[in-house]
Amino acid sequence: MFFDSDLLMSALRALTPILLAALGGAVCERAGVFNIGLEGMMLMGCFTAVATSWFTGSPWLGVLAAALASAAYSLILAVGAVTLRGDAVVLGIALNLLAVGLTSFLLRTVFGVQGTFDDPSLAGLPLVGGFSPLAYLAWASVGVAALMLSRHVWGLRLRGVGEAPDAAATLGVSPVKYQYAAVLVSGVLCGLAGAQLALGNVTLFSENMTAGRGWIAVVAVMLGRALPFGVLLAALLFGVAEAAGFRLQGLGLPQQATDAAPYVVTLGALFLTTARRRRRTPATSTTADPTPTGAVS
Amino acid sequence: MSRRSRRTLPLAAMSVLLVAGATACNAAAKDDASADSSASAGGKSFTLVTPDAVGQNEFLKLAVTGVEAAAKAHDGTSKVFQSTDTASQQQNVQAAVDAAPDVVVLVGFEFADLVAQQAAAHPKQQFLMIDACTTKAFDNVSCEVFREHEGVFLAGAEAGLLTKSGKVGAVDVLDTPVFRRFSDPFAAGAQHVAPKTKTGTRFVGGQSPFDDSARAKEQANDLLSDGYDQLMAAAAAGNYGVFEAAKAKGAFAYGVDVNQCPSAPGTVVDNVIKRTDVAVEKGIEQVLGGQTGTTTSYGLKESGISLTGLEKGVDSSQCVIAKHPDVLKKVTALRDQIVSGELTVDDPAAAS
Repeated sequence: MFFDSDLLMSALRALTPILLAALGGAVCERAGVFNIGLEGMMLMGCFTAVATSWFTGSPWLGVLAAALASAAYSLILAVGAVTLRGDAVVLGIALNLLAVGLTSFLLRTVFGVQGTFDDPSLAGLPLVGGFSPLAYLAWASVGVAALMLSRHVWGLRLRGVGEAPDAAATLGVSPVKYQYAAVLVSGVLCGLAGAQLALGNVTLFSENMTAGRGWIAVVAVMLGRALPFGVLLAALLFGVAEAAGFRLQGLGLPQQATDAAPYVVTLGALFLTTARRRRRTPATSTTADPTPTGAVS
Repeated sequence: MSRRSRRTLPLAAMSVLLVAGATACNAAAKDDASADSSASAGGKSFTLVTPDAVGQNEFLKLAVTGVEAAAKAHDGTSKVFQSTDTASQQQNVQAAVDAAPDVVVLVGFEFADLVAQQAAAHPKQQFLMIDACTTKAFDNVSCEVFREHEGVFLAGAEAGLLTKSGKVGAVDVLDTPVFRRFSDPFAAGAQHVAPKTKTGTRFVGGQSPFDDSARAKEQANDLLSDGYDQLMAAAAAGNYGVFEAAKAKGAFAYGVDVNQCPSAPGTVVDNVIKRTDVAVEKGIEQVLGGQTGTTTSYGLKESGISLTGLEKGVDSSQCVIAKHPDVLKKVTALRDQIVSGELTVDDPAAAS
């Protein structure tokens, strides 16, 4: 049987870190900050989670520390892009590069190892019903984010800031405050994504272990048009494509072909969604989302 | 607009500086001379250039051991230049050649082109390449390559003897002939001892196949959910993911390069080890003895490739195989057959 519960579990495990990071990216996107530093923020979360869990013996403290550390790290983007009005793309790339160097350096100084830190006594997150508690948190966050953005005054103001910052400012809503908050929220979510990857999916830290998941999250934000449920669908698409790819290898499809599966799926979905959007809304485009073209890592 | 871009520039410069700063930190860790170079009087001098930082990289650590042993044997000195990226690899090779030691030892395929350039420019300098070779032969470049497939075959035989489900699989890095040396012979070895064994391989692939332990773990899970109970782990950093998956399902795994049993005691059965130290030491002997420009292959016969279970210290290795002396006995017999040439292992990379 091709589609069985193992495949679904595998897909959902693959999806969780991407979903958390992508939700963070979506919140930023809605506030008008294009955040492509998800990969780097996530990697900082991975390292902090593992280091804290190792030294305190508590994976929960690891999760907390990861969220705080990534939020602090995301301040670089907040200060740079919001206060100093720097280019968010340049800053995002810098965040990603810096995270790889910084975590590798810290791995060496803190643990005295290179490449991978792995110890049988490193405490990972417990499994509840086959998933880590962070997975449930991720799914719940989708609903919370959707509700906040569509109903709550904070969410409405955040969207207002993203779509027309000057108009928001004249109405007494501080764009700076909301954009800072959005970037910090994305930092927290990426920290959780990192903790999920390093203490949930596996229990170890290895250099560059995010391995492009942050970039996939960026694409998920675009594909889901920064809507929480859209992002969930996009992330699900990636998760299923990846898990199915592994299984297709077992059926004899070459690895090079299965590797391409998530990207083929992305391209296909992009064509479908843009075609549908064009037909539905001929000329009026008021949303602040960037044109999702060719932005695959 | 112009105001905006003016404000952007210093920021961009700042981020570049930040990144450069991080790289500088890495670069600061290189160039540690492991022996006192000024003390040498008449002894031989050897310089080892590594493609990555040595740190806990067991494979590179062994190369350092080899160079140090050679220096000791010749009452000479050894230096280790650790690279961190392509740029520092180039600088380190240049620095090594400029100092003109008796032998420059380089580990890894990364150096093939650099050595080819340097060997042509400095015909009197002797080079020793480990685990790779230049495409064109040079009189002053000696190479040493490994026949990993022989060791993987033996690990596969262990798996074939130990499997309860009759299914043994491998999680490999990439689907290329060189990496297939870690999966195809595993299947062949298992089927040699138990012809009915079912085999399967998953390749990690993806954006960074060597770092992605979460992906490797899912690949292993896919095999495990299909009933596979013995997994060859040849996925670099992903190996730890494979071990975690096997441990969770009570299955068994096999490591590579060095003894990986301590990272998952009770799960890792055995390891295909590469004795880089032996290769480096023997290679230096050969070069000093005047036999240069040749390629030497190391396998079971030359003790360049082995299994943890076949080496001294099995009992303290934390490997599962230590509890199966009967299996080890059969595998030892197989090794002897391969060493004597009675049995040959197909090399997936030979056709290329």
